[in-house]
Amino acid sequence: MIDFYSFAPEIFILALILISITFGILNKGVTITINATGFSLLTIFLIFKGHSLYQNSLYSLNTINLILLSKIILSIGSIVFILLSRRPLKNENLFRYEYILFILFAILGSFVLISSDNFLTAFIGLELQSLSLYLMAAFNTKNLNSNEAGIKYFSLGALSSGFLLFGISMIYFDTASFTFQNLDNFSTISEVGLALVLIALFFKVSAAPFHIWTPDVYEGSPTISTLFFATLPKFASLIFLFRIYHELNIPKIDSLHYIFQIVCAISLLVGVYGAITQKIIKRLLAFSSINHIGFMLLAIMSYQYMSEGTIFFYLIIYLITTFGVFSVILNLRTSEGEITLLTGLNGLKASSRSKAISMLVFLFSLAGIPPFAGFFAKFFILSASINEGFYVLSVIAVISSVIAAFYYLSVIKNMFFNESETELLLDNNKLSSFIFISSAIIITLFFFYPDPLINLVDSLFK
Amino acid sequence: MSFPILSLLILTPLIGALTLSLSNSAQLKNKTIFASGLWITTGEFLLSLLLPIFYDKSQNGYQFTEFHTWFDKFDINYYLGVDGVSIPLILLTTFLVPICLLCSWNSIQNRVKEFVIYFLLLESFIIGVFVSIDIVIFYVFFEAVLIPMFLIIGIWGGENRLYATFKFFLYTLAGSVLMLLAIIYIISITNTGNIEVISKFVFAENIQLILFLCFFASFAVKVPMFPFHTWLPDAHVQAPTSGSVILAGVLLKLGAYGFMRLSIPFFEFASYYFQPLIFSLSCIAIVYTSIVALRQTDMKKMIAYSSVAHMGFVTIGIFTLTQDGMNGAYFQMISHGIVSAALFLIVGVVYERHHTRMIADYSGVTNIMPRYSFFFMVFMLSSVGLPGTSGFVGEFLVIMSTISVSVYLTIFTAVGVILGASYMLLLYKNVNFGDVKADIKKLTDLTNIEIFYFTCLAFLTILLGVYPKLLFDMIDASISIGIL
Repeated sequence: MIDFYSFAPEIFILALILISITFGILNKGVTITINATGFSLLTIFLIFKGHSLYQNSLYSLNTINLILLSKIILSIGSIVFILLSRRPLKNENLFRYEYILFILFAILGSFVLISSDNFLTAFIGLELQSLSLYLMAAFNTKNLNSNEAGIKYFSLGALSSGFLLFGISMIYFDTASFTFQNLDNFSTISEVGLALVLIALFFKVSAAPFHIWTPDVYEGSPTISTLFFATLPKFASLIFLFRIYHELNIPKIDSLHYIFQIVCAISLLVGVYGAITQKIIKRLLAFSSINHIGFMLLAIMSYQYMSEGTIFFYLIIYLITTFGVFSVILNLRTSEGEITLLTGLNGLKASSRSKAISMLVFLFSLAGIPPFAGFFAKFFILSASINEGFYVLSVIAVISSVIAAFYYLSVIKNMFFNESETELLLDNNKLSSFIFISSAIIITLFFFYPDPLINLVDSLFK
Repeated sequence: MSFPILSLLILTPLIGALTLSLSNSAQLKNKTIFASGLWITTGEFLLSLLLPIFYDKSQNGYQFTEFHTWFDKFDINYYLGVDGVSIPLILLTTFLVPICLLCSWNSIQNRVKEFVIYFLLLESFIIGVFVSIDIVIFYVFFEAVLIPMFLIIGIWGGENRLYATFKFFLYTLAGSVLMLLAIIYIISITNTGNIEVISKFVFAENIQLILFLCFFASFAVKVPMFPFHTWLPDAHVQAPTSGSVILAGVLLKLGAYGFMRLSIPFFEFASYYFQPLIFSLSCIAIVYTSIVALRQTDMKKMIAYSSVAHMGFVTIGIFTLTQDGMNGAYFQMISHGIVSAALFLIVGVVYERHHTRMIADYSGVTNIMPRYSFFFMVFMLSSVGLPGTSGFVGEFLVIMSTISVSVYLTIFTAVGVILGASYMLLLYKNVNFGDVKADIKKLTDLTNIEIFYFTCLAFLTILLGVYPKLLFDMIDASISIGIL
């Protein structure tokens, strides 16, 4: 008998999807409130009853904790994102019920992806997630850039799915199994297959050199979709990558381990190198996210030493910061629409103090300057990687973060030192103000009181 | 002692900055904001005076310690304490910050509230560096100092301020991240962040060498030592007067303090191993930057280069690894903190009135501004190292201690003293003597506020010069533990 209870969360999201479709077709408006409530209930359920879901599963306790925590973070992120999306969508005349559906499908895909124990379900989850993302990128149908972004994302994404499928079929050919647990001793064919799988995953998390789509898609898509790409699906794919890395024991397979290290190093460097000359905010953030992916890969690799904690900590801080940065940017408009250029931030300090100071906190945190939480996130990763003996990668990582400081400082320069050229229309949305101010406070206060967050992450990996 | 005076020292400016930032700026006049900043920093100064009063000089080790668990998981804690080496530097900081605010009273007119807030943050972070005896918290404060300084130079600086402030930030950060890696490595080996414990730990020799170089990268940029000094003249020239004062007065000392507090106690073998390297770099710094200073046409740049030369004495003194050398170096640090700060103020005074820093634009100032010329002379002579002023004691001790190491070293440092005298006297002569230029005549002499803070600085310089025992009593015991 199929144990339906163990995928109750996924079924719940499916129910939300059906409700949203019904409401949408009947023209009863967009179901933001219902979905936000639904995800709140889901979060509460996962926090208090989550462990009961996996009573009968074969996963180790560590994996269960990992899956649960990721799901909790994903559903909290979904609440914030769904609530946040209302205003920007209305501003761009995109406020249609389909958008919420895409979010829900993508989250459903992420849920499936995170908890899958074999390659086939993982593929379904990943595709479900990706197809929604392509649509979200092209959602602004009247805008050529958005269409271009959608097509680009789709064609390159389809290519990477091809890699993934090919890799999976090679593994199946070799081992006659899709399940992770059964893959113990690898032959060369499986290794190649696994390498192809990894490449597809690197593509999804936009690690260099598989990052080419990232800047264009980030730039062309509606900003709210960009926020989504940068946060929740990427988070899910990284967690899946983390699971593959450890459950398939990649460190023991030299060739794949090298691929991992090289991709990590290239991501760290390409991210900062590409970002330096950017003049468009979203492209800058795209490259900066590539750099951060490099750090996360480093965290994945140096896992023995308190590592699940490390990667989670980094991811949480990264999610909070990214949500903060985007909710500031989504709040800034000129009479001609959204601001796109970095110079659009000129003189932000004069026009809105709270936004400028929050941005200052976020950017210094992304750059890893103490006393903000981003510093500690990087500090823990470097501790782990030095403990694991990745000296060269650690040096590359810190050098990249020095270069990164340069472009983060340039943004700060625009906000604090330059005079504004055009009048900023401050769209004082209470919700997004609340989000960026509270994010900034969390990131600052971490220095004074770090234990709650660390213990939270830690307690799950005893 | 249970009274948390060190936390209070860190928190007072921080809370002041927070209250200011939450206040409604539209209703406050600039003067009110300055005055409140001044009250806070003066209170901070008085608070810091409790440290030398209650400090027990007869005892070694850290006093006024405070310990709070910071991370449960690692042995990294909020662990504060001071000894004889940190107290004078804390006093120097709390003494200079009110002066910085005073000297900006008229010159800073826009965005005054931010200005005061950044200075308060800066003060809090600097004190944090001096009081922390946990290596991670030390690093956190050490880096955090960059943020307010970046903004101070970038917002209120001169024409080319962006270049200068970016250079300042990136140079320092590039040095510091290597230190961060070294710190992480140390923690992964010793499993603790406690400086006292790490000092007792003996690292393998080849590892020491690498770790030492990582720390060296950070501190050498901060000091700055040749060839990492090029950010300093740019930063000084572009910074507002108050920024230069705090930069020369205190920020440069963070590097030297780092050498004394971390590098030498941690890496005994490497300190001896790299002695020749540091001596050569310091000698080059002393002679080369003095010659460069001779040819400068910009007053601020000249004093900036002289700072590099003077800090060369400090690094030589520290790395002789003898009691005399260390004492001398430390004395030179404090003396340089007072004197170079005063010299930047001196430049600031005429810049505010005449809006040029070029030496050629001035001549015969002494006829128009006699009081100004008097104070200029006091600080100029102290910078040159005239006996009776604080500059003499440090230089003398350092040069004396070099004899035990190498006579050549002595010769080079002594040449530096002569060169130092020549450019400072040249500067003084060109600005103060000669015919009175027409546009000099409209300048006015020092105001009461200016006389007030110059008198304080001059008093300190001469007091330390005449009675150096005041400082030596404080530092002797602490430095002798530091020596190996």
